Parts: sequence; C-alpha cells; structure tokens
Amino acid sequence: MQGRRNFLKLSAGAAIGSLAATLPGTVQAKSCGEINWDESADVIVVGSGFAGLSAAVNAKRQGLGSVLVLEKMQVIGGNSAINGGWLAIPKNPIQLAQGVNDDSPEELVKDQIISGRGMQNEPALRQIANRSLDAYDLCIDTGVKFRDGFNIQVGGHNKARAIRTQHGTGGDITTKLYEAGVKEGVDHRLQHYIEDFIMDGQQIIGVKVRKNYRFPDLKTGTTIFIKANKAVVLANGGFARNMALREAVDPSLDPTLDCTNAMGATGEVTLTAMAYGALPVHMNLIQTGHWGSPDEGGFGWSNALLSIGWHQGVAISVLNGKRFMDERADRKTCSEAIMKNRNADGSPAYPVVFFNYNNYAKDDRVVRALRDEMAWKVDSLDEIAAKFDIPAAELKRSIKEYNKHVGERKDPLFNRKMDTAEELTGPFVVSRIWPKVHYCMGGLKTDLGARVIDGRSMAPIKNLYAIGEVTGGIHGEARLSSTSCLECLVMGIIVSETIKADLEGAV
Amino acid sequence: MNKLLLSALLGLALSSNVMAGELVKMKGKTEGRVNHEFIYQDGCQTCHQGSGKKNTTDAACVECHGDINSIPVDESKLAIPEAHPHKSLHYNQGASCLACHAEHEKKAPVCTECHRTWFEEM
Repeated sequence: MQGRRNFLKLSAGAAIGSLAATLPGTVQAKSCGEINWDESADVIVVGSGFAGLSAAVNAKRQGLGSVLVLEKMQVIGGNSAINGGWLAIPKNPIQLAQGVNDDSPEELVKDQIISGRGMQNEPALRQIANRSLDAYDLCIDTGVKFRDGFNIQVGGHNKARAIRTQHGTGGDITTKLYEAGVKEGVDHRLQHYIEDFIMDGQQIIGVKVRKNYRFPDLKTGTTIFIKANKAVVLANGGFARNMALREAVDPSLDPTLDCTNAMGATGEVTLTAMAYGALPVHMNLIQTGHWGSPDEGGFGWSNALLSIGWHQGVAISVLNGKRFMDERADRKTCSEAIMKNRNADGSPAYPVVFFNYNNYAKDDRVVRALRDEMAWKVDSLDEIAAKFDIPAAELKRSIKEYNKHVGERKDPLFNRKMDTAEELTGPFVVSRIWPKVHYCMGGLKTDLGARVIDGRSMAPIKNLYAIGEVTGGIHGEARLSSTSCLECLVMGIIVSETIKADLEGAV
Repeated sequence: MNKLLLSALLGLALSSNVMAGELVKMKGKTEGRVNHEFIYQDGCQTCHQGSGKKNTTDAACVECHGDINSIPVDESKLAIPEAHPHKSLHYNQGASCLACHAEHEKKAPVCTECHRTWFEEM
C-alpha cells in the first residue's frame, strides 16, 4: 500500500475520482492513477463539538451506515467541551413549570432578528427555533442533566428560556453525546487532521487525513486517505484562534486579543472548503467580549466577576491611575476604551477593575476568582498601586473623586449610570482585564438543509454539508447567548435528515 | 505486562527516592520517566510501533496501565474535587492519555489551557 501510494499525483487543487470514466475532462487529462483509499465510511464528520457529535449520533439513527468522526485534537468535544452549557429552548419543561407560557420559537427568532441587525438568515433561525425541543429531547435521551428548576432570561432575550447544564459546561453535553455515539456504533478518532478534500468535480468523495497528528505540529503523524461513501459533514467550528485569518477579515482585531475558544478553533477546514469553491459569508463579523481576564484561559470566571465590577466597582488605567471609560457601556465601546491602554512598546497595559471585598466575600464569583488567582484580595489603595505598578497618588486622587461622584449619584467624567455604584473603602477584590475574541458569526454559506453552497454556481457542492459555527450568515451581526449550542444540536439532526433525503433522491 | 510493571515499581520503591514519574536521562540525549526504565532496555518499540520516529498512541499506555477509569488519582492533591483529571467534566472518557502526559518532556495537562493554577507540569 505504502509504495503504491507514490503513484498518486495530486496536482494543486486537482480532483481525482476513483472511476476515470466519471471524471470531468480537464481533470482526467492530468490524472495518473486512482486513489488508494486506506479506509472508508458512509458518513465522515469533521469535528467533535455539539454539531459534529449530534450529526454523528443522528446519522446512525437515520440508518445512514458507518459514521466516522475525525477530531484533530487529543480530546473529544472541541470548543463545545469548554463552553458554558447554556441552551435556549422555548417551551422547555422548566420554563413551563415556572409559569412562563407566552414563549414560542417565533419569540426567540424575534430576539435574534434584533441582534442580527438585518444581516441574519430568518428562515434558518426559524427552522432551528422550531426544532429546539428536538435538541432538548436529544440531550435528555442521551443522559444530559440540566440544573433543577433553572431557567433564566439572558442578555438580548425577551423571555426566560435559557437552561443550563448541571456543571455549567458544554462538556456535560459533549461527553454524553460521545458516550451515546460510542454505544450506537459511531467511530470517533482523535488526532486526525484534515489535510485536504478529495473532489470529483463538484462532488466530495473523501478526505486526506494526517493520522496521529499532534496539534499544532503539521510534521507529526502520517497521511491516509479516507473515502466518504455518502457524505462529509463539516462541523469544525469557528476560527477565532486563527490570528492571521481573523486579522485579515477584521483588521481591528489585533493579535493582543486573547480568545475564549479552545486551541483547535483555527478554521483550516473552512479555508479548504473555500479553496474548493465554498462561498464564505460574513467572515468579518466576529464577536468580542470586553470582559476577559489575561490571568486565566478561555472564557473563565472574569465575565461573572465583572458583573460585580462594572456595577459596584471601578476600572482604572495602570498607566496613570485614572478611570478611562463608562464601565457600564456596551461591549464595543468598552473594548475600544480598554484597548487604548498600551505600554510604550504597544503591549497591553492591562487595566484593573476593583470593588469592595466585604459585601461579596461569600459570593461564588469572588470565591472562585480568588481561589484560581485571576483576582486578588488587596487591603488598601497603596497595596493596589504597588502590586499593579500604578502611580499611587493619582490612584488615590481618582478614587477620592469617584467616591464623591458615587455620593452624588452622578458621573461627570463618563456619564456612567451610578445607581448601583458603591463607595470604595477596601479591602478590595482586584482583577485585570483585556478583551477576548469569542465567536465567529461568519463562515460557509449553506442552504436550509446544511448543504454547502458553491460560490460560482450558487448550487450545493455534492455530498458536502456544514453545520454549527463553521457556517456563516445565520446569526447576522451578532449572536445571542445560549443560541449556538441550540443551533449545533438542531443542525446535527437536520443534516442527517438531509443526507437521507439526498440519498433517496439520488436513487 | 502488568507483572512487569509491578516489579518495575517495586524495584523503584526499594532502590531510590525518585518519584515514579520523574524525568531523567535515558538513552543518549533522550529523556524518559524513571518508572519506564525497563521499556528503554527493551528498545523503543513498546511505545513507538515499528519505529522510534512514529508517534505513539494511547494503545501503548493502556496496555500496561489500563484505561483511564482504572488509574487512580490522589484526590487529596486536587485544587477542588471537580478538578479530577481522570473524571473531567469537559472530556470524561473522550481524552487521549497524550492530552496530558508526555514521556520525553514535561508537559502541562490540557486542563491548564484554562485552569492555569490547578495543575502543574508533569
């Protein structure tokens, strides 16, 4: 086998089919042999987050045959495994038990239209919302546990409809979908990196894979070819960790911005699909959170901690000891103000946010932040100045002035709403902040059935499907909290139905 | 293989005060774990199937140590009970040994990508 593979000559971007007779003329002219497939599967799923694992289990349940999940990292679950475990489900049982009876899929779509600012794909959102109870059932049925009686209204939603997993992580869902998949015969592979697609004209027929790949070293592992008998489902997530790509599509995202995503969210499979004609949409729409901490990885506790910090506390520049923004302004305004804090060499001068310790000593948000050393209890302003290298006299003057403004319930400096502000007396809880890139709204254009659309013909690329964050154009300008997990789980169901329908149509 | 492992560990306990997983010079410039010394005497094939240049897989680890569920973790050393790396809330059964362990170099477990203060390089 090894030797015979040398006969294979893949010219750049060339497509070689297994049957010479079916090849388009241009390719046939260049082809020198057939692919020696190392193995084959009926459905190949790329990526093992919510979308990929849902697609895999549902493909099995649709009777599509053998299902192979290829994950490039050394753990199953992708970015979903470290996600916060929020799931928006209109008419979920907990919501109904709370007496919230006026919610509906259409209400969710209404909220998403506002957040999408005209750029969203309404039919896609509607389809997802209409199938949200199917996603909930999939979770329950595979053993996912949600918090008892917990259903709340999160940012941008007009109803309390977000439930949360038992441990507050998407891992509660991915581990269960994975275990269900194993039980139902899905073949999951770690450390399998997609090097290339194997195309036969406008149809994908397999993938070139680096097996035993060790992220991020492309020299590791060995190349194998896996044939896809029926479908390839791209569920490889977003590209928020690809610094060059995100800066290329949105130059305002400078590389000093860390990222809430798992390390593997680098988008190379998205780029490969684009190289074969898949149409990219909304690539520059990338969500950023201004609540990141440079002292922890991923999403972390910072966002929760700062829900106290922005309201009851203050943000101070370490460069001059002064306030520099309305702490309660929106994400974009705050992000821009925070990022202006730079040392002479352009490196981030992380501002500090602090509030009084005593009132919140037992608050979970504070306990966790102090425990994990992404925030510190500091007794006095002098100690804050020393610890974070802030000019002490300026800091004291700023806080004295701030306390006066708290007393007057008026912020003449930045016009912040001061209704919740507390006079700062210490001891304090202090953390550092810097925005983080969070979610890519853009990606591959798909039709409602999750078929990947070719940009030249505007028709589907045969047998190629994409679901989850790798797709673009669904959420528009901004995605609402707790809707991505929903989208991924639902589209995993829908894609399996589409593949089945396409196969039946082809017979 | 399990018997071999046991005798290797016993030998280790009697002969020295180094920790079982400590990294030391093994062969030439190659470093390895003290408790794996007997493997180096055997050649590299035990872990690297066929050739030392080929990447190892979990199969080699599991053959001696058993699967992730059968490997005890000293829970008294965990930052919090939920920080049990062999019962991860994020990955549970879906993690390769290699996500956290390396033979020839010190490596920080995958958990430290986010939970920076919970685990040390091993």
